[in-house]
Amino acid sequence: MNVLKRILHVSAWKHATKTAAIIVMAAVALLTTLSVINVSQEEMLLNASEQMTQAIQADQNNTRKRVTVTYNSFGFIKYMSLSTSGASAMKEAYIGFAGQVYKADEGFMKFTGQMVNYTYRMLGTGENILHGVKLTLLLTTLSMLIGLILSIFLALGKISKNKIISKISSAYIFFFRGTPLLIQLFVIYFSVPVIFGFSWRGIFAVGDPESVFKGAFLAALISFSLNAAAYCAEIVRAAIQSINKGQSEAAKALGMGYGQTMRYIIIPQSIRRMIPPLCNEFVMMIKDVSLVFAISLMDITTISKTIMTSEGNYLVFLPALIIYLVITAIFTYLFGKVEKRLSIYE
Amino acid sequence: MSSYEYILRTENLYKSFGHLEVLKDVTLNVQKGEVICIIGPSGAGKSTYLRSLNQLETITSGKIFIKDELFLHREHNRTIHRMDPEKHKALMLEMGMVFQSFNLFPHKTVLENVMIAQVLVRKKSKEAAQKLAKEIIQMVGLSDKLDVYPSKLSGGQQQRVAIARALAMEPEIMLFDEPTSALDPELVGEVLAVMKKLASQGITMLVVTHEMGFAREAADRVIFMDAGRIAQQGPPEDIFVNPKGDRLKQFLQSIL
Repeated sequence: MNVLKRILHVSAWKHATKTAAIIVMAAVALLTTLSVINVSQEEMLLNASEQMTQAIQADQNNTRKRVTVTYNSFGFIKYMSLSTSGASAMKEAYIGFAGQVYKADEGFMKFTGQMVNYTYRMLGTGENILHGVKLTLLLTTLSMLIGLILSIFLALGKISKNKIISKISSAYIFFFRGTPLLIQLFVIYFSVPVIFGFSWRGIFAVGDPESVFKGAFLAALISFSLNAAAYCAEIVRAAIQSINKGQSEAAKALGMGYGQTMRYIIIPQSIRRMIPPLCNEFVMMIKDVSLVFAISLMDITTISKTIMTSEGNYLVFLPALIIYLVITAIFTYLFGKVEKRLSIYE
Repeated sequence: MSSYEYILRTENLYKSFGHLEVLKDVTLNVQKGEVICIIGPSGAGKSTYLRSLNQLETITSGKIFIKDELFLHREHNRTIHRMDPEKHKALMLEMGMVFQSFNLFPHKTVLENVMIAQVLVRKKSKEAAQKLAKEIIQMVGLSDKLDVYPSKLSGGQQQRVAIARALAMEPEIMLFDEPTSALDPELVGEVLAVMKKLASQGITMLVVTHEMGFAREAADRVIFMDAGRIAQQGPPEDIFVNPKGDRLKQFLQSIL
């Protein structure tokens, strides 16, 4: 309740927040107005050619329809395509915007219509791009999180005075940074089950229709985590070693042990230095996750590719590009915020 | 109450970095409450000596006693004797150290800097630690800076916080490793004033310094180190007023 009160306390908002709120409100108002005055599907159908109208009317009495009607509505903008197959195949497309109906058969209007259609399909049912976004985000954040935790041990291992631990950590980092992620994914998804005699889908309940995807997800999560651990370990190590030696000496002189020194003195200071390279690594990971198309997991890339294959149109990758860009922008912003928050003492 | 003869004693301390011998046969007895200033040209092994007392450097061979108890005994880079870890840790805490470069924890406020080791090492409650920290910070004259981060303080103020941080562990011996060398000349005074205050309170102090004025005024004994050895020692008057030996004369001439 308190949080709500604080949010509603508008006069205490920052200037930028107020501006953003005004822009959002104006956008919502504009889009609502545009939706209200927009044409209906019936009005759009009135614009169809005579032959097409006849075909549609004929369809009303037939069980087998000749005309395929695609209708995508975002309210303020609507797209409709009418097509028939067979010897006298016809195709017509229309855009409804601001109470007007426009033909969308060629040029810029055709492009706009297709973008509306793909965006609608991606957000709609079927090959839902939101599932892809969810999968991409889930895989990225989970594997970065697991990788980061592993990487702290790897980094401490690499700078350890114990030669064996140091060698093992170095070898691990060298191995995962020295081989392609795609091959690592293949090895873990295909080769490891053969070596150890199990199957990824077999981990989940028999008869679970999702078991194939769950198995693939688990394999991908393990691959990406192990890979992220190696890259993050170098970031963590560099950050730890960049802290002045005087800090650990001072801690030792005060009687703190190695663990306490790391936990309370060195690591808190190094975290701020890790943020920019970790942000890089995170953004790389968002993009690396697209490799899961190789094991048929439905992420943003795989779904775009599926739509392209079924639709036969290559423009579908543009919305996918924008979705990636938006995700990256959001995370870059958040990491920047965290870095600023952690810099208060400098 | 004290049943020991010397609070700190080193016997035949040697330390080499590879082939370079930095400390040669350093033997020193320190009584409780003594203020000892260690002077000498750079590279004489003053800092290394101080740091090896506090285990920041590992000696090659020699014996260190604290309160007449054998704290560490090494010969030819091998440890012959080390006391059990609990006692070792307890005796380590009898020594507080102040560094040339302050080494305050930049992500902690002044108050937190002075509290953290009390809570983590001495296992004190937060309230008790805070109470003592505030008292000590007041003693070094920084009560108005409790919630400030070190980066916002001047060098002199930072060094005073560093002294407070070491004092908060209630050590019996304070080691100062060139505490004023990194300071602007006009800030040296405030740090020396705090150190003089400590000296008058009877805390045992070993100070590596280039501040001859301070040595002359506050020290009970001045040690002149040269090329890894204790070349001369004595009360300040003997060292500064009637220096004997060419190296000491030469050194004093170059510095004064």
